[in-house]
Amino acid sequence: MTDLDFERPSQLQATDTPEDRGVGRDGVRLLVTEGEVSRHHVFRELPDLLQPGDLLVVNESATIPASLPARGAAGSFVMNLSTRYAPNVWLAESRWSVSRPGPVPIGDSETIAIAGVEARRVAGYPGIDRLAFYRTEADLFGTMLKAGAPIRYGYLAHPHPLADYQTVFARIPGSSEMPSAGRPFSDRTLADLRARGVGIARLWLHTGVSSLELENGDTGLPPVYPEPFEVPTETATAIRRARRAGGRVVAVGTTVVRALETASDHGEVRPLRGFTCRVLGPREPFGSVDALITGLHDPRTSHLSLLFGFAGEARVRESYRSAVAEGYLWHEFGDSHLLWRAS
Amino acid sequence: MTPESSGPRPLALVTGASRGLGEVLARVLAGEGFDLLLTARDGPALDRVRAVAAARGGAAHAIPGDITDVALRARLAQAVGPSRGLDLLVNNAATLGPTPLRSLIDLEPAALEEIYRVNVVGPIALVRALRPALRARRGLIVNLSSDAAVGGYPGWGGYGATKAALDLVSLTLAHELAVDGISVVSVDPGDLRTPGAEPAFPPEEFRQRPSPEVTIPFWAWLLGQARPAINGLRFQAQAEHWGVPP
Repeated sequence: MTDLDFERPSQLQATDTPEDRGVGRDGVRLLVTEGEVSRHHVFRELPDLLQPGDLLVVNESATIPASLPARGAAGSFVMNLSTRYAPNVWLAESRWSVSRPGPVPIGDSETIAIAGVEARRVAGYPGIDRLAFYRTEADLFGTMLKAGAPIRYGYLAHPHPLADYQTVFARIPGSSEMPSAGRPFSDRTLADLRARGVGIARLWLHTGVSSLELENGDTGLPPVYPEPFEVPTETATAIRRARRAGGRVVAVGTTVVRALETASDHGEVRPLRGFTCRVLGPREPFGSVDALITGLHDPRTSHLSLLFGFAGEARVRESYRSAVAEGYLWHEFGDSHLLWRAS
Repeated sequence: MTPESSGPRPLALVTGASRGLGEVLARVLAGEGFDLLLTARDGPALDRVRAVAAARGGAAHAIPGDITDVALRARLAQAVGPSRGLDLLVNNAATLGPTPLRSLIDLEPAALEEIYRVNVVGPIALVRALRPALRARRGLIVNLSSDAAVGGYPGWGGYGATKAALDLVSLTLAHELAVDGISVVSVDPGDLRTPGAEPAFPPEEFRQRPSPEVTIPFWAWLLGQARPAINGLRFQAQAEHWGVPP
């Protein structure tokens, strides 16, 4: 197995939004890795780095306030909803608090309350003891609007409103954690992209919780669990047209890559919906996209593994050395990376 | 298809429920809020599964017997009752036939007939017996298939042929029972470390197969799907993608 470790000083993580840091969404830094070279830009310069006819594919999944107060025989705890399997069946992670992982002991026949809604454990998630399926007596979407907060982990300085976790593309609620690659895009960036002749196509993939990777990343293979997605017909068509006209396809986020690769059949993206369990790693090079816009990923994560598969381990490692040297910021409110496929 | 807060609890019947995948299914379905009717040949083992399922809050009944026995099928239909209806039938019971596995050409015709009786005729006969109950609830039939249905693996010819037959049975019933609002799917659960599969493998190879619990996320997904959208489809529980045509 490829070693997914690297040194990243702990102060290089965004503990606040770029707006808090006074630069605005499109003011984060943009590391551009092309060939063997990495150059340093500001995100709002992205349109100038693309060509007319290029196509961005974005994730229009919106972040949901998936962190809910819960109560059971073990006392009060936090239930972070990860993935909706049915209107009243969720895969969820029980935690003691924002900074203290679980699992919280919950009995098979125990009735717990998630923000006042009765729930029972259906079954544990195979191999990941902090995750389980829960069946509730009411649809938790409504409950979340009243009682939920965005999922947050210990490295953030303070809570943020849900709006801070929405990208400009957000349209279909369902992601437990923000599809953060799209966060640096602003209305201004979109207008500049349009003026430049760069197209935008949409799909959705709802992200689940990432806590296991964040907090428990040295357990061996990065866990990847099924996530719901849809690649619409128009998007499959737009990709085919862009390619035929010589345009390049740029995925905004590893979620977009995962959806497109799942929907790819012999190199051609087809419309598809369902749940994807596809794992993309160093041994799974993929061909559906020419470039990837993504955040900076932590050591020992499935995202980093995906990057290695896309751009080659040596190139990614070299670009990350450059990012560390220049003080780039990691995590969902951090800086951005445009990574072109090795030519 | 998971139960709503009001109205009666849905009822599921699982065959081969005493061990392996059937046991996992019984637990998951109890957790999903189903009342259960469980059957298998091994009465004591079946009762242990029944007790575990019943501890999850719903009713669970065990009726031991052999799925090839017309009397058992009648008892199951009677236990469901004419008015209650059946929401889910899982045809999970199956036999590999004589083990260690042998070439199809070396399989005694009598043994081959027995595999067909358990794996093909049994499920069809059970659907016949339960059709009114399934119609009453616009129920779902899940028939367990196998990669042996398409693999042509040496030694797996008898079992594989019955699973290929069952796949066609599933597709045919999906068309024929649509008029009743009944949906039918076929599910290949993938390689599993189940007691039923154990005699077919060298111990070392068997131990490397995943626990049947690996299929739990798939069942959670399948049970959340709108039934007409999945009618007639064949799924692989351990595939990279579970989906329906857009």
